[in-house]
Amino acid sequence: MRHRGLVGLGVAALIALPWILSQGLLNASIQMLIAALFACAYNLLSGQAGMLSFGHAAYFGVGAFGTVHAMNAFRGAGLLPTPLLPVAGAVAGLIIGAIVGWFATQRTGPYFAMITLAIAELLHSLAPHLRGLFGGEAGVSTMRMPSLGLTFGSTTQVYILVLAWVLASLLALYLYMLTPVGRLTLGLRENAHRLRFLGYNVHNLSVLVFSVSAMFSGIAGSLQVINNEAANYVVFDSSVSASVVLNTYIGGVRVFLGPALGAALMTFFGYAVSDLTQSWLLYQGIVFALVMVFMPSGLAGLFEKSESLHRRFGAAPLAPFFAFALGAAVLIIAGAVFVVELMQRMFSQDYRALATTARPWPPIPLFGRQWSPTSPETWLVPVVSIGVGAACVFLARHVLFKLQDRQESRVSATPFNQH
Amino acid sequence: MDTLVVSLLNGVIYGLLLFMVSAGLTLVFGMMGVLNFAHASFYMLGAYFAYALQGTLGFWAALLVSTLIVGAVGVIVERFVLRRVHHHGHAHELLLTFGLSVVIAELVKLFFGNYPVNYRVPKSLDFAAFAIGTSEYPFYRLLMGGVAIAMFMLIYLLLTRTRVGIVVRSAIYRPRMAEALGHNVPLVFMGVFGVGAALAGLAGAVAGAFYTTNPNMAIELGVVVFVVVVIGGLGSLEGAMLASLLIGVITSLAVGVDASLADLLGLVGARSWAEHAGGLLTLKLSSLAGTIPFALMLLILLVRPSGLLGGKA
Repeated sequence: MRHRGLVGLGVAALIALPWILSQGLLNASIQMLIAALFACAYNLLSGQAGMLSFGHAAYFGVGAFGTVHAMNAFRGAGLLPTPLLPVAGAVAGLIIGAIVGWFATQRTGPYFAMITLAIAELLHSLAPHLRGLFGGEAGVSTMRMPSLGLTFGSTTQVYILVLAWVLASLLALYLYMLTPVGRLTLGLRENAHRLRFLGYNVHNLSVLVFSVSAMFSGIAGSLQVINNEAANYVVFDSSVSASVVLNTYIGGVRVFLGPALGAALMTFFGYAVSDLTQSWLLYQGIVFALVMVFMPSGLAGLFEKSESLHRRFGAAPLAPFFAFALGAAVLIIAGAVFVVELMQRMFSQDYRALATTARPWPPIPLFGRQWSPTSPETWLVPVVSIGVGAACVFLARHVLFKLQDRQESRVSATPFNQH
Repeated sequence: MDTLVVSLLNGVIYGLLLFMVSAGLTLVFGMMGVLNFAHASFYMLGAYFAYALQGTLGFWAALLVSTLIVGAVGVIVERFVLRRVHHHGHAHELLLTFGLSVVIAELVKLFFGNYPVNYRVPKSLDFAAFAIGTSEYPFYRLLMGGVAIAMFMLIYLLLTRTRVGIVVRSAIYRPRMAEALGHNVPLVFMGVFGVGAALAGLAGAVAGAFYTTNPNMAIELGVVVFVVVVIGGLGSLEGAMLASLLIGVITSLAVGVDASLADLLGLVGARSWAEHAGGLLTLKLSSLAGTIPFALMLLILLVRPSGLLGGKA
């Protein structure tokens, strides 16, 4: 890893968090860590091995329920001491992952994607019927038992436990990629045919990668149960599978910590805006679609790109470019958010009931102001904002092209530089 | 006996409906190699557009207009979204359509709310067609089956009997050769994508009135459609037809069966053990009807991984 110092700094910051943050934010950090681990586990399969799974909620859920039952074993005494409970989730994820993986990796490409989706749906539709195992609609609740002199009663202690497991798992995933099997995993993505010709058993290898990914997903699910002290069959929902796909690709699959970055950011925003908007998943979906169309390497790729630009041109000439790019991003996002939120309020049940009786339509309160949905000024705000944003995009591109042109002409002007 | 006939009929009609959606999916896959995750979203859009337009246009016109709108949405998606990322490969396209399906579902929730809407069969069509024994059979179900069959005939004749059909089939079979012979293959792709979307939209507009129209209908139908194309073999229209009918009939029959695994084990004298074990063994088949397609899919994957009528992968 090139940014060893940066990672070390990040880890130190994470360890220091309980002394800095409030309880609510610390709880959000736990969610972020779990989402980050889940995304990295998912990325092993989809990003590194190139097998797109759309049903990873299944292994997250299996890990969660495995842990809940381990915690409730022996009349609540627990199968394992609390700090070791994620092992139960890991084992559950590994076993189910190996079984499902054997089926799913019979096929590749789109077939594989559909099979994983269908298996997750199978579990989701089966789970509410199996009351003993999944607790029906109510789910299964449990208690964290004190162990090793720790009570695990406070958020801080849970945070430390989660942090330790997430860091250890991420390290394990990173080291896995350095082993020969890890290299073969990349080979699976790049050219599975060639691996077969080289004499490797591709199916077994796929099953192995699938199980390892499911195992770490199981650990993530397990950590969530330890945090929530409950598990519900809702963890098998397709939205859980969807969000891990979105997080991973928004973060960027080609960089090891990219998915973790995406998941942490998305979870944080989801937490921060959950009181303000009901359309968070819509924003997430739009961001994902934009990332897929305009910057396939994700947020991590964005950082890498700006870094390479910085190396190439230096900070000062690039300043106008970054200013325009930032301005464009802020203006376009502001305009889009305005439209979505206004629409959301306009089409809400309350407002529609109001609008049937009141003429003209009553104004909508949004961002501390009243907006009349029939007046053109209301709609002019997002149009102008997005329009100016688009102009900024144009200017930013213009600045960048100018810089590139200038450098190229300088290169061609220097003698002895012909290849 | 009567109930058997009724559930068989229901199953066949549900199967035809499934085929209407899976036909477009499998056609597009065969042609462009793109698995369109958002295909079932087109089905949902059809239902919602028809619901929204029904008040102003009347039922039949709403059906037609919503089909056309969904077709147009499909064309826009292909032309301005999918084509942009084509050079990144199929996995990328698959992911993008997945993102689109999320966005469409959320937009539907934004405009129509996160609950079922009141989209119903119009009064003039809500009557019994005939009676089987004591139970009356709703006319609307027959109408759904009829629309589906009429659609297939149309598509089939279009593909096999017209010049446009020849160009489309050649573009599917050998896109580069067709292009070299001067046909506009990207236009053909766009057209087929639009027609596939319109078919799904029509299916949604017709079926949404009979089943429920809610923001989850895309994912619920979507997974079944995926199961259909895996069982039938991706890219094979005949396979999709066979698998659709198979799944339609099996799920519809299973709803009427009150037996469980414990009953089966009872035949070998292990009933008391099974009832003691509980869990999966005592679940009634009727409550598992939704899971049977998935089980069937796993079975097919075990014995014939390329699907019933699919070629070698």
